[in-house]
Amino acid sequence: MPKKVQLKYEWNWAYRIEHWVHVASMIILVFTGFYIHWPFCLAKCPYCDFNRFLHFVSMYTLIIGLAIRVYMAFFSRFYADWKDFSIIQNIKGAPEMVAYYTFLKGEHKEYRKYNPLQAFTYLSWAGLIIIQALTGLALYTGDVFGLFSSQSAFGWINRLLGGEGFTRILHFLIMWYFIITAVVHVYMSLLQTLVKRDRTFQSMFTGYKLSSATGKKR
Amino acid sequence: MRKEYGLAARDLVDTLRYSSIKRRDFLRFCGVTAGLLGLSEAYIPKIAHAIEKGTKRPPVVWLNFASDTGCTESLIKATYPNAADLVLDILSVDYNETIMAAAGQQVEEILQKSLKDGNYILVIEGGIPTKHGYGMIAGKDMMDIAKEFAPKAIAILAVGSCATHGGVPAANPNPSAIKGVSAVLGDAYKGKIVNLDLCPVNVEVLVAVIVNYLLFKKLPELDVYGRPKTFYGQLIHDNCERRAHFDAGRFVERFGTEEEALGYCLYKMGCKGPMTYAPCPKILYNDRISWCIKAGAPCIGCGEQGWTDKFAGFYERLPDVSIPGFKGVEFTADKIGLAAGVATAVGIAAHAIASSKRIKKGGEE
Repeated sequence: MPKKVQLKYEWNWAYRIEHWVHVASMIILVFTGFYIHWPFCLAKCPYCDFNRFLHFVSMYTLIIGLAIRVYMAFFSRFYADWKDFSIIQNIKGAPEMVAYYTFLKGEHKEYRKYNPLQAFTYLSWAGLIIIQALTGLALYTGDVFGLFSSQSAFGWINRLLGGEGFTRILHFLIMWYFIITAVVHVYMSLLQTLVKRDRTFQSMFTGYKLSSATGKKR
Repeated sequence: MRKEYGLAARDLVDTLRYSSIKRRDFLRFCGVTAGLLGLSEAYIPKIAHAIEKGTKRPPVVWLNFASDTGCTESLIKATYPNAADLVLDILSVDYNETIMAAAGQQVEEILQKSLKDGNYILVIEGGIPTKHGYGMIAGKDMMDIAKEFAPKAIAILAVGSCATHGGVPAANPNPSAIKGVSAVLGDAYKGKIVNLDLCPVNVEVLVAVIVNYLLFKKLPELDVYGRPKTFYGQLIHDNCERRAHFDAGRFVERFGTEEEALGYCLYKMGCKGPMTYAPCPKILYNDRISWCIKAGAPCIGCGEQGWTDKFAGFYERLPDVSIPGFKGVEFTADKIGLAAGVATAVGIAAHAIASSKRIKKGGEE
């Protein structure tokens, strides 16, 4: 059955740049984070102080990036998507998506940008970036943005969690959450691209996605 | 010296002569203390004067509770001019169970006299058992003794980690329910108790806090744990003499290796320096001869409250994580992360295989 297929401008330049800045800083954070956790490849890699420097710079990038992303969610002139993250709406839609991904259902409702599971994942990223920033700052001994002492401002987190060791463990385990969800995220976008042939995967590079006119929009 | 400060200094000068402490040594001590307190050279004579106010030596009552007396040991091994002399003779330690010469009836009288007179500096060494009968001196519970002596003290110094939060005696399972001085005395004494963490206490810190009190008639600025910010404000890791090795990625991987002989960073050997706020790398121990990391041992974090439990696994970098609901089941954070990662990889692979039908169908459309 031939469908009417058209190119749709899915992501403008701001969304794409924001996405790839997050990707880059996340990759650097994970790599340097593993290094700080347990220094490896000692002779060949940049050394510990440089790794830590990169880690801090990337985290600042991520925090600023998140702030910009939240701003875009509300005030983007291209597409302000804050309504798509409505928790109540997404709880209603989630069972269908789970059923689709577990092969219990053949089709699912089309969504404007994010399906409920996506929306939850992205929302959790935003929340966990904040938690990572807070736990990271609780472990940091310098000045936050060079303005005020990190320890006096965020030391309470260590006391809350029972000590720096546990802050580190939490920081470390949340990193694994990011790794896992990021891998699933890439897999899902590839899967979508292969199943629907709609260039979802390429859209984050080019900005354009193929949209079938038959899909229900909301 | 006598000329300079008048007759009031006689006691001190006699004491110094008797214990053959040279004037130069005494002034050197004053200079060191000024340095520790972050005061300028101009304060050195003032410090000397404050200590020398012979007739008004502040009485010090030193109570020993549940501990291994390591802090007293640290005290008598201390710096020039022999802090034992300083604290015993100059500061008039009326009562210290471990090193006092008197005993029995005689010493109880001294103690009761100090209690009656009040205005003493109360030094407490050791944790306080909060269960009846678990730690008694002269038929009295340690907790009752502490509560008896606390109200009349001008300042309470909890020395060593046993006194600050219970330390080793309070480590899990803690059958005698040992607590630190602050926890036992309660909020009423907040601001009056100075917690001098570390196991044992660093005597230079102790003496500096006392001198600071004599000089300014107030206690130093304290952090949230009641520790003087001056001494417990900086991370061991940031002042460590092996920090250059850390920054350059030179680590000891195993004891007994060449790396260890070369004095590389002990980060991978479970050093808790990156989590511990203490003055060890600057002040050192035993007359500034050495400290743990200089001696080749990873820091066990004894400057932090609750270190016996939260830093346990002293040669592990991070403690194990217990899984809620499964008592006694513990994993390292690495294993948890790796297991979750592997599970994800397997899940994705399975899902991809299961999706092959959909992908085929998508291609046909």
